[in-house]
Amino acid sequence: MRFLRRWKIQILVFFAVVGPGFITANVDNDAGGIFTYSAAGAQFGHTLLWTMIPITVALIVVQEMCARMGAVTGKGLSDLIREEFGLRITFLMMLGILITNFGNIIAEFAGIAGSMELFGISKYYSVPVCAVIVWLIVVKGQYKSVEKVFLAASFFYITYIFAGVLAKPAWIEALMATVKPPQLAAFKQDSYLYMVIGVVGTTIAPWMQFYLQSSIVEKGVTRRQYKTSQWDVIVGCIFTDVVAWFIIVACAATLFVHGHHEIRDAADAAQALRPLAGDYAYILFSLGLFNASLFAASILPLSTAYTVCEGLGFESGVGKKFSEAPAFYWLYTILIAAGAIVILIPGLPLVKITVLSQVVNGAVLPFVLIFMLLLINKKELMGEFVNKPVFNVIAWSTTVIMIVLTLLLVYGTVHGGAG
Amino acid sequence: MTMSTLALSELLGSTVYDSSGTAKGRVHEVALAPQEDRCKIAVLIVKTSTGNRLLPIGAVSTINGGVRASSALGDWVLADGAEGLLLLSRDLLDQQVIDVHGRKVVRVNDVDFLQETALGRPLLKVGGVDVGARGAIRRLLKGVVPASALRALLQRVPPREIPWDFVDLIETDPARRVKLKISHERLAKLHPADIADIIEDLAPDEREAVFETLDEGVAADAMEELEPKVQKAVVESLDNDRAADIVEEMEPDAAADLLADLDEDRTAEILVQMQPEERQEVTELLEFRENTAAGRMTTEYIALPVTSTTNDAIDAMRTFEGRMENMSTIFLIDSKGTLVGAVPLAKIVLAPLATPMLGLAQEPLISSHEDAKDKEFAELFDKYNLLTLPVIDHGNRLKGVITPDDVINMLRGKL
Repeated sequence: MRFLRRWKIQILVFFAVVGPGFITANVDNDAGGIFTYSAAGAQFGHTLLWTMIPITVALIVVQEMCARMGAVTGKGLSDLIREEFGLRITFLMMLGILITNFGNIIAEFAGIAGSMELFGISKYYSVPVCAVIVWLIVVKGQYKSVEKVFLAASFFYITYIFAGVLAKPAWIEALMATVKPPQLAAFKQDSYLYMVIGVVGTTIAPWMQFYLQSSIVEKGVTRRQYKTSQWDVIVGCIFTDVVAWFIIVACAATLFVHGHHEIRDAADAAQALRPLAGDYAYILFSLGLFNASLFAASILPLSTAYTVCEGLGFESGVGKKFSEAPAFYWLYTILIAAGAIVILIPGLPLVKITVLSQVVNGAVLPFVLIFMLLLINKKELMGEFVNKPVFNVIAWSTTVIMIVLTLLLVYGTVHGGAG
Repeated sequence: MTMSTLALSELLGSTVYDSSGTAKGRVHEVALAPQEDRCKIAVLIVKTSTGNRLLPIGAVSTINGGVRASSALGDWVLADGAEGLLLLSRDLLDQQVIDVHGRKVVRVNDVDFLQETALGRPLLKVGGVDVGARGAIRRLLKGVVPASALRALLQRVPPREIPWDFVDLIETDPARRVKLKISHERLAKLHPADIADIIEDLAPDEREAVFETLDEGVAADAMEELEPKVQKAVVESLDNDRAADIVEEMEPDAAADLLADLDEDRTAEILVQMQPEERQEVTELLEFRENTAAGRMTTEYIALPVTSTTNDAIDAMRTFEGRMENMSTIFLIDSKGTLVGAVPLAKIVLAPLATPMLGLAQEPLISSHEDAKDKEFAELFDKYNLLTLPVIDHGNRLKGVITPDDVINMLRGKL
């Protein structure tokens, strides 16, 4: 009993410290993340590991910028875009975000469908039921209490670290691959380029920037308490990318080395946990994937509805009644319903769709970054908290690199691919 | 006199012709001079090849189908800065304003003007701000679809307009607030709970701006209605003098709760600025800090001399005027008020008449110090399954009693 009590207190202390940064980073390892990292490891082995360090640096810089803007201005990212760039640009941006996030919502339902199929439950049951659960959680105002359960359960990701270790990967090789710059020849391959954009897009997802900044504002973080949030962001980003690294390594050591290069469904991806859990790998993987997908599925539609309604000036907020904020609730409802319906299409390649949604994330990311950079460098908005030159260099480089990669991919696709 | 309507987004960007009839530039801004008139448009700022210039509305002869001025370009002074001008495009479009009638914060999609013709000259007045789909669609589609088709389409969209009289602007720069005569007279007339709801919807700088402008009494009432988290943030952002003025006007217990949440230094700074009478009241309450045993205890209890018997105890209970649950333990004190023992009610009932109370006292005697934190005395309740917990001062004198309902209240506050 005593032990249990102490354990409970420690959990409480942990949740008191965990902030928006850590939560955002955790949601980042959603169905899109797990499938994309798994696919990257299975298809390309260690050759994508070099992306992890630059991505982590970029992720920290970008997330820190959001947290800072939230703390200094007390306004959400879509509010700021609207106030500084006007209605027309905001509208286009919101349309882009709506489409991109919708792709992510579909990916979450794909995760739910895939994980439940491992238990032999058909997606025709699991997806509609979960869609209703997600909808109810928010409409009944239970989100805050459910969040803690999700967050605790998301420690499942640590299993990937164990799995990575137990798979006896070629450590030296994996570490070398992490610090070794990529070979330019690899980029000539469209599928490689596609996966690089997907990995960046799933790690630095556009929706995260809007979500994090709103959470910081919602939490009432001010200029003075902002230092704590900075640490919260840094720790969260590192945690999420360490997990990503291990997912890739685990998949490379199990799937890639055995010539299993294509992940078609959740069952394929679950193989990566076999060294750790043997036949239980399925259970472990599917529970983790299910939790991650449901967690993200309850955040994404809500965050999207908030972002869009705030930018366009519609009433929004879960504290309001349906009749007071119709646009907000309808948008929220439609996003969930439509996302679930897409997944119910028979014979849909779930993993492919998921990875595609993350590639779209990567393609849209630079546009979000451009707005963030323009905003955070405005003296009249940020005062002394404008970006330091190092941050500008890193964020602008990320923007330019993502634009170039996307253009290369489009060029490659249009010209039939260099193969 | 004829009247028609015009939207800010239609006026912005329209061509401006000088007295000779040649196009000289485009409308860049439309401005009010609130010191002179709160509704009437005072000047247009025209973007010309030689910089932005001010064109007073008095020098405009027609507006529809291009702005025609009755003066030459040379007469339009260069606009350096916009001192004392409310720039409708920059200050209003896409910004948040307070809808005093609807009691909420809204975002401006467009500004609607009423156009009159007086003495052959156009007169533009701000009618209201458009916060609905009509203004949004007009701005989104302007220049994308033909103007006539757009007008026809907009006819079908129901307007959501807030009359200009019900619009309260939010300006975070104090100097500009004075120059533009921005006050919150209309906001101040709302119910304090509504004012608090509106304030909670604003960004920190904007909250501060509103609180600096509101009258102290209204600010205090609204402050009491704010969520504790927002309350604290607002007080922290105000200067000590202003914060003291507002805290003075609050109910003493609300003021004490608020000050107890701040840093001790800040609390002291605010207290120093307060009137002596209010300061003393709040200080007394502050001494019993909310999160300590002294802040939670009740002072209604039964304490008897050490030499008492159960008969004395029963007599004392019969005359006790406090609440029943406060009788569940009878305390024994010596002549100096030092706590000596605690006897549970059940033991008194079960003992023969006239038994000395001291013999019935519980062992060990559990008590808590005045300064004990919530967590400490809650743990005592848990560990010893207490029904009551006596609170003592540094000299071990009995000061009050904590009962289970106090603990439950405290724990519920932490859920």
